Amino acid sequence: MKIKHKMKSSWNNTSLFGIILIAPLLLWIVATIVYPLIRSVWMSFTDVDFLGSNSSFVGFNNYIDLIKDIEFWSAFGKSIIWTIGNALLQVILGFATALIINQQFKGKKFVRTWIILSWIIPTIVLAIIWRWVLNSSFGILNYILQALNLIDQPINFLGSLQMAMPTVIFINTWRWFPFLAIIVLAALQTIPADPYEAADIDGANSLQKFIYITFPMLRPTLSVLGLIGTLWSINIFDVIYMLTRGGPAGGTETIPVFVYQKAFQEYAMNKASAAAVLLFLFLLAFVLFYIKVEPTFKEENFLR
Amino acid sequence: MRKITSILLVICFLMVAVSFNVFSKQVEIKIWHMEQPPHRVKVFQNVIDEFNKQNPDIYVKQQVLDWMNAYQKTIAAIQARQAPEILFTLPDFTTVIKQTGVVQPVDDLFNKLDKKYDFIDAAVNPYTYDGHTWAIPTYGMVHMMWYRKDLFEKAGLDPDNPPQTWDELLEAVKKLEENGITGIGVPASHHMYTDQAIYSFMIAGGAHEIFNEDGEIVFNNPKTIKTFKFYNQLVNHSPQDCTGWSWAEPQLAFNNGTIAIAIEKGQFLGPFEEESGVDGSNLGGAPVPYPEDGQRGSIYYPNGMMILTKDKEKLAAVEKFLNYLYEPEINGKWLAMEPGLFLPVTNATLNSESFWSNPIVDKYKDLVKLMIEQSKYGRLFGFNHQTVNQNIGKIAGQHILAQTVQKMVVKGLSPEEAIKWGEEKMKEAIK
Repeated sequence: MKIKHKMKSSWNNTSLFGIILIAPLLLWIVATIVYPLIRSVWMSFTDVDFLGSNSSFVGFNNYIDLIKDIEFWSAFGKSIIWTIGNALLQVILGFATALIINQQFKGKKFVRTWIILSWIIPTIVLAIIWRWVLNSSFGILNYILQALNLIDQPINFLGSLQMAMPTVIFINTWRWFPFLAIIVLAALQTIPADPYEAADIDGANSLQKFIYITFPMLRPTLSVLGLIGTLWSINIFDVIYMLTRGGPAGGTETIPVFVYQKAFQEYAMNKASAAAVLLFLFLLAFVLFYIKVEPTFKEENFLR
Repeated sequence: MRKITSILLVICFLMVAVSFNVFSKQVEIKIWHMEQPPHRVKVFQNVIDEFNKQNPDIYVKQQVLDWMNAYQKTIAAIQARQAPEILFTLPDFTTVIKQTGVVQPVDDLFNKLDKKYDFIDAAVNPYTYDGHTWAIPTYGMVHMMWYRKDLFEKAGLDPDNPPQTWDELLEAVKKLEENGITGIGVPASHHMYTDQAIYSFMIAGGAHEIFNEDGEIVFNNPKTIKTFKFYNQLVNHSPQDCTGWSWAEPQLAFNNGTIAIAIEKGQFLGPFEEESGVDGSNLGGAPVPYPEDGQRGSIYYPNGMMILTKDKEKLAAVEKFLNYLYEPEINGKWLAMEPGLFLPVTNATLNSESFWSNPIVDKYKDLVKLMIEQSKYGRLFGFNHQTVNQNIGKIAGQHILAQTVQKMVVKGLSPEEAIKWGEEKMKEAIK
C-alpha cells in the first residue's frame, strides 16, 4: 500500500513536471493556431465584413456562395496547377542537383554552400530582383534574349495570361529546389556502399543502380518531403502576391491569394474565412489519403 | 555585495522609469502615414523635430505604413487599442475605417484651422458627410498629361502644342511610333494607378458618375463604353508590360525615353532632370485630353488626417501640432516632401513664399500652376453629387475599375462585356 502510494505520488510529480514543461508550448499553439482556427470557422458562418464589425449568424450561406463562385473554382484550379508544377520541377531539379553534388569533384564544398543562396534571400528582395530582371521594357533577360536574336519582341513574363503562372512557378522553384537538393543529399549519404558494390559485381549499370538501389532507399525521405512539400507549396502566398498580386486578371490567383483579396481588399472576412476552411478541409483529406496510400506511412514500416 | 545589488536595483528602476516616462509629463502623439520614400520621411521628420523642440511637453513621432497593408495594420491596432492618434487617409479609406467607430469627427478643429488658413472646398468635401467632417485635408494630387518635348520634336510634333483632344492624342501617339518612339504608356494592371488613370479618362469622356443620385450603380453606360474603347487603343500603343505596372515603371519609362507621354500626378517633376539626363525644359505638362463631346478634368484627390483618439490631453496636443503644421511657413516646407506632387489644400499655403520658393516648385512654376488649375476640374469616384457614397471604399479597395480594364486588355473581353462584368462586380461589392 505504501509502495503504491509512493509510486502514485512520484507519477504525479513527474506528470506535473511534464505538464509544466510543455505548458508554454501548448499555450502558444492554442493562442496562435487553435484560437485563430476556431475563430475562422466561426466567422465563416457569419456575415462579418471586416474584423471587429458587427455580425450575425448566417449558417452555410458563405459556403454556398463560394461553391457557386466561378472565381473560387478558378483559384482552386490555379492552386492545383501551382502545386503540381512546383512539385514536378522541384523534384526533378532537386534530385538532379543532389546526385551531382554527391559526386566527388573539385569545389564540391563551395557548390554545396552557395547552392542555398536563393533559399536565404528574403522573399521581398527576391520578388523585386525578379520583377526587374523580367521587366519587358528594361529587364536584363529580355535584353539578352533580344541581343542574341532569340526573340524579336520582349516577352511579357509576369504580365501576360500565358506566361505569368509558368514564370511564377519557375521563380518559386528556383528558390526552393536547393532546399530539396540538400535534403536528398543528406539522405543519399545514409545509403551504405555495400549494395552498390554488390550491384557492380552483378554488372548493373548506373541507371539500374539508381532504379533498384538509390530510389527505393530514398523513398521514405521522398515520401515525407512529398507530403510536407505539397502542404507547404499550396499555402504559399508571399512570392505570388509580391510578383503578380494574383494577376494579370486572376491568372496567378491561387486560394491563399484569393483568401487575402477577399479579406483585405473586398473586406469580406466571412467569405475569406469560408475559403480558408474549405482549403483546410481539402488539405486534411489530402493528408489522410496520402498517408493511407503511401507505403512509407504504413504502421509496419514505422515499426521496422 | 549588498551595495552592488542596491546600485543595480536603482539603475534598473531608473531605466524602467525613463522608459515609462515617469519623470516627464510629455504627451505622445503617434502619426501613421504612408509616405514611404526615405526623402519624404526625412522632410517630415525635420518638421516634427522642430515642433518637438518648440514644445517640450509634446512628443510627436511618425511611423510609416504601406498602403498595401494599411488596412490590416490599422484594424489590428484598433482591435488591440493601440491605434495612432493621427492616421493618414484617403477619402475612400476613411469610409471604411469610419465603420470601426474610432474615427472622431473633426468639425471644431477643422473650423478653427479653416478660419485661419482657408481650406479649398474641393479638398474638404470628400471628407464631409453624415453631418461631420471626418478628416483634415493634408495635400491634393491631380492627374496631368506629361510629355517629353525633346521626343515630340524628334517626331516632328510641336512641343508647345500638346494634344488636347482624344483624336489629337491618338494621332500624336501614332506619329511618335512612326519615329521609333513608344508614344504613350498607360497602365492596365490590378493596381490603384490603373483605377486612377482610367478614371481620369472617364471624367474626360463624361463618364465620371459610377453612382446615380440614388446611390445605384450606373457604371454600364455608353459614355463608359466609349471611354474604355479609347483606353484600349491607348493600351495597345503602350509597352506590353503595362499590365503589371505600379507607380515606378511608367516614371522610369518616361524618364529614360521609352515612352513619350504618361498620365500621372506631379511626382514626375522632382527626379526628371537627374533621371532623364535632359534639361528640365523638356518636360511638358498639359490637361488630360478629352473628346469633342467631353469635358476638361482628371482625378483629383486630397489626402487627409483622421483623428483616432478621444483623450482630451492628446486632442489638445494634436490641435497644437496641426496649428503648427498648417502655418504657411511650415506647411510649404512640409509639402516639399515631394515637390510638385503634393499640392496645397489651403489658400494660405498657396499664397506662401515657403511653398513657391522650393527649388523644384520654382523651376517648374508654370507646370505647378497648371496642376493647381487642373485640380479645379478634378473629380473623385464616389464623391460627386455633393454627397459621399460610403460604398465606394468596397469598390476602390478591390480596384474594380482596374480589374475591368484587365478583363478587357488581358482576358480580351470587349469593352461592353468587360463593363458589364465590372458593373456586376460593383453591385456584388456593395450588396
